[in-house]
Amino acid sequence: MKLNKIADWLYILPALAVITFIFILPLCYTFWISFQEKVLGGSPKFIGLTNYYNILASGAFYTIIGNTLVYSFSAVFFKALIGLAIALLLNRKFPGRGILRAYSIIPWATPAFAVAFFFILLYDLKGLFNRILGFLGLPALRYLGPDLAMFSVIFVNVWRGWPFFFLGFLSGLQAIPQEIYESAEIDGASRFKKFVYITLPNLKTVFFTVCLLSLMWTMGDFTTIYLLTKGGPLDKTLTAPIASYLKAFATGANIPEAAALLILLLPIYVILIYLVMKYAYGRA
Amino acid sequence: MPMVERKRNITVLTLVGIILLILFVGIPFYWVLNLSLTPEEEAYSPKLFPSNPTLSNYFDLFDPSKAAARATRFENFAGPVVNSSIVALSVTALSTFLGSLAAYNLARFNYKGKTYASLYILFAYVFPPFFLMIPLYILMNMLKLGDTLFGLMLAHLAYTLPFSTWILRGYFMGVPKDIEDSALVDGCSRFQMLWRIVFPISAPGLVTATIFSFTLSWDDLIFALVILSKAENYTLPLAIAFFMQGGEVYAWGELAAATILAAIPPVSLYLLIQKYVVSGLTGGAIKG
Repeated sequence: MKLNKIADWLYILPALAVITFIFILPLCYTFWISFQEKVLGGSPKFIGLTNYYNILASGAFYTIIGNTLVYSFSAVFFKALIGLAIALLLNRKFPGRGILRAYSIIPWATPAFAVAFFFILLYDLKGLFNRILGFLGLPALRYLGPDLAMFSVIFVNVWRGWPFFFLGFLSGLQAIPQEIYESAEIDGASRFKKFVYITLPNLKTVFFTVCLLSLMWTMGDFTTIYLLTKGGPLDKTLTAPIASYLKAFATGANIPEAAALLILLLPIYVILIYLVMKYAYGRA
Repeated sequence: MPMVERKRNITVLTLVGIILLILFVGIPFYWVLNLSLTPEEEAYSPKLFPSNPTLSNYFDLFDPSKAAARATRFENFAGPVVNSSIVALSVTALSTFLGSLAAYNLARFNYKGKTYASLYILFAYVFPPFFLMIPLYILMNMLKLGDTLFGLMLAHLAYTLPFSTWILRGYFMGVPKDIEDSALVDGCSRFQMLWRIVFPISAPGLVTATIFSFTLSWDDLIFALVILSKAENYTLPLAIAFFMQGGEVYAWGELAAATILAAIPPVSLYLLIQKYVVSGLTGGAIKG
């Protein structure tokens, strides 16, 4: 019996070891290094909260938080909206529905870096979007200029990300028993009433799960913004993942200060992680 | 079906929706595909339909002499294609193998501390991986794995393993315990039983976990940036980023061809498993 129990543990031990050594311990190391001074060789020097002070004292920190929230909340909002609309559309019965469902998943299956390059080609001064504007007699736009950059990167994230919402909502719609609609129809409920009183409430669980997961991923999205704008111009699209990367590996390459930045950003993510674990997987 | 009869013919609203959907998804793809088939000489003023469609942009990617002429792109894309495949395939194999064992433990055995083991893995699953860029960069250098494909593979494993474990746990919990018990009574060993009964029943789950791991690794940019530096180790996103010279793109057709090439493997894999995508990701959390 004892031996059996040990054997049971052997199934999970390798995975736990891998996760501990290349996930959890490295995470703790970020915390440790955030109290060090930047060194070029030699032994690390403990400098207390200096890195934290430097970050909080720079205005950029608040810009980063603001940008991260604007980017992820607006992207999730539009992804949810489009996802719901397409789910309702492709839940109707019509020939070719199956093909369109498969078609709809393609943007999400395309790697984020490939999608970013797609839009580099589309947003270019001579790209498709500006050619359409030119065709209509309108002046070309600088999609990645300071005024439009945030909007443009959000659009790219939305374009790639909405199918996840679509698939979630579609499976939610399919799980609603038809009988509810039938009895509502017998009671003379209008189309709109059925939508508000039956469809929407039944999608609540799916809605929260999908939104929380997507919010988490969008707040961690590095690829889209890095390839399109690198956080620029003028820090207009500088979000948490981009800012941490640039601080650690580009301008000044100050790893300890970048670690402090990550730790300072951590609370926002921890709240989300808690919500995801509790509500999305609470019953698991 | 005795359901209240709904209109079977397409209403105007549906038709408008279908057209918008097709254009919204299709236009970016069409433009890039069009560019990739447009000869380099016409690339700056591409037509709506390529007048002389050619695959030369695709072939040129693998021709170092073309790159030398322009010096605006990565020399030969064969290297990055091979590197990306090596990393993604080994990450997939390891995370599916280790993940399925761990998932079976979580789904079937009962012991003290199982809740904590589950939460530990779930935590690693939902935690955004970009937080690991600094420590993994340092760790790989300490282990002398900086700038190696093996180091990159380990970094990917850090987040694909919790992912596949969690997905598979959901699928394994759906395997009826009676089947397993009777197999054990018939004298199967645990491993035989896993191999012959549990895995085949959960085949959709295994396929889903495999494809997710593959695409997570294939799509990665940040760890490739942080860990790799020699051009011979470049994966696809790094090699494609080479097209951007100070924010400008010169070889449009080749850039378009390279991104289309990079998109083909994950897109074809996802189309295979489209039915399982959501239930896999949310691990049974979505049940209406």
